[in-house]
Amino acid sequence: MRNLFSVTIICLSFLILGVFWSLSNNLQHVAARLGQNLVVTLFLNKDLPGKDIGLVRDKAGRSPIVESLRIVTAEEAMERFQASFPDLKDVLDNLKVNPFPASIEAFLQAEKARPEAVAAFIQSMIETPGVEDVEYNRDWVEKVRSLGRLARAVGLFLGGILILASFFIISNVIKLNVLSRKNEIEILRLVGGTNAFIRIPFLLEGTVLGILGSLVSLLLLLALIKIFPVYLGSSLGALQELLNFRYLSFSQGLGLVAAGAAIGWMGSLTSVSKFLKA
Amino acid sequence: MLVSDNLIELFHVWHQYQRPNWALSDISLRIKKGDFVFLTGPSGSGKTTLLKIIFREIIPTEGQIVIEGVNILRIPDHGIYRLRRMIGIVFQDFRLLFHRPVYENVALPLQVLGVPYKEIRRRVFNALRMVNLQHKLGDPPSHLSYGEQQRVAIARAIVNAPKILLADEPTGNLDTELAFEIINLFKEINKQGTTVIIGTHDKELIRHFGSKILFLQAGKLLGKDALPLSGN
Repeated sequence: MRNLFSVTIICLSFLILGVFWSLSNNLQHVAARLGQNLVVTLFLNKDLPGKDIGLVRDKAGRSPIVESLRIVTAEEAMERFQASFPDLKDVLDNLKVNPFPASIEAFLQAEKARPEAVAAFIQSMIETPGVEDVEYNRDWVEKVRSLGRLARAVGLFLGGILILASFFIISNVIKLNVLSRKNEIEILRLVGGTNAFIRIPFLLEGTVLGILGSLVSLLLLLALIKIFPVYLGSSLGALQELLNFRYLSFSQGLGLVAAGAAIGWMGSLTSVSKFLKA
Repeated sequence: MLVSDNLIELFHVWHQYQRPNWALSDISLRIKKGDFVFLTGPSGSGKTTLLKIIFREIIPTEGQIVIEGVNILRIPDHGIYRLRRMIGIVFQDFRLLFHRPVYENVALPLQVLGVPYKEIRRRVFNALRMVNLQHKLGDPPSHLSYGEQQRVAIARAIVNAPKILLADEPTGNLDTELAFEIINLFKEINKQGTTVIIGTHDKELIRHFGSKILFLQAGKLLGKDALPLSGN
């Protein structure tokens, strides 16, 4: 019963850590994906003639940091939007006219796209006739990245507090187990048992509790990750990509289990040692 | 190093559980290898305290104890097992594991030594046969009579063929016939080289087996004539 209690506490602590960690994992992943294709989008004036579109494209193409260009027509822009936000299809249908401007996407060469160079490029493109607005996705990459860091920090903070708590709980549970076997420990010492001989069963017990707790938390996390998207449905739209969980990598999972084992080990070590004097 | 046949030496040992009474006052004695000693005296005279001091369950208020040339008060806590492994102890309150079968209780001193399983079985069985309990091997001590529990405690103390056997009232709950049998058993073990110290207030036993006698009264050692302090 006591053991069940401590496994539950360890499990919950690690679950909280795991939830934030997997959120952060996802945000890092999204940021990395966004970071791979740095795109400056040049939104063009509405109804810009094809000849002028060609001029803007040629100017952008001359910049040394641009790797390739793609023209996105107003129709393509609308299709993309409909694909991303199927719920909003009705709204668009009611509009009758296509509200999206055509644009040119300039894919940058990652190694040459230093911030100053990109800023200069953006500046020169804004001044180009026919360009209505310029958007650069690196700002987003940075935002997503720092969101990821925030999630991890929150997870470490909350998880850390709970893990500290579970350390004390394990330590006390083992202490109760030790107390209930005080007689046995005493006898073992009197017949010549070494401290290690007496300690090892308790250490193993604590370690197993820690491992069990963290393993169960990983299972719960997996279940949560499977269920959460189903529960949310598509109500979050594009935000869902950011709010999604990415399951912990094998080494992260291993790290959590190792941390569980270590906490169990140390928790019991502190409580048994008190009974091994004289 | 001085070669000596003294196994246990106590130098001016005093012990106090609470002021102002001294449980032991100024005990000095020497016990040689192979001795068979009765430690006697009325209840409360300090027999149990003296025995507990020898295996360092109690640290005396003052004085020194040397066993096999080692001052046992200087052994660190984590090294105390070395002392305990050469001493077999029959406790007055038995200190058995009541929920574990007799076999496991007796096997404990061998298990902590890492003796192989087959050897443990052989030696436990022998020890139980010596105290005539081989048929109760699988019973937990809680199912045994008081006297039987005492014999389990004796089996556990001798199973390891210790250098020193300390027994605190080992015949206290046995009828005379069985008590004599047990002391004969201790004599037998003593012949194989184990130094035996028996705390008892049973005068008849001492009369019958009388060898060296340490007589305690109110914490003081009397009757030193029975056990020459000089060692010769």
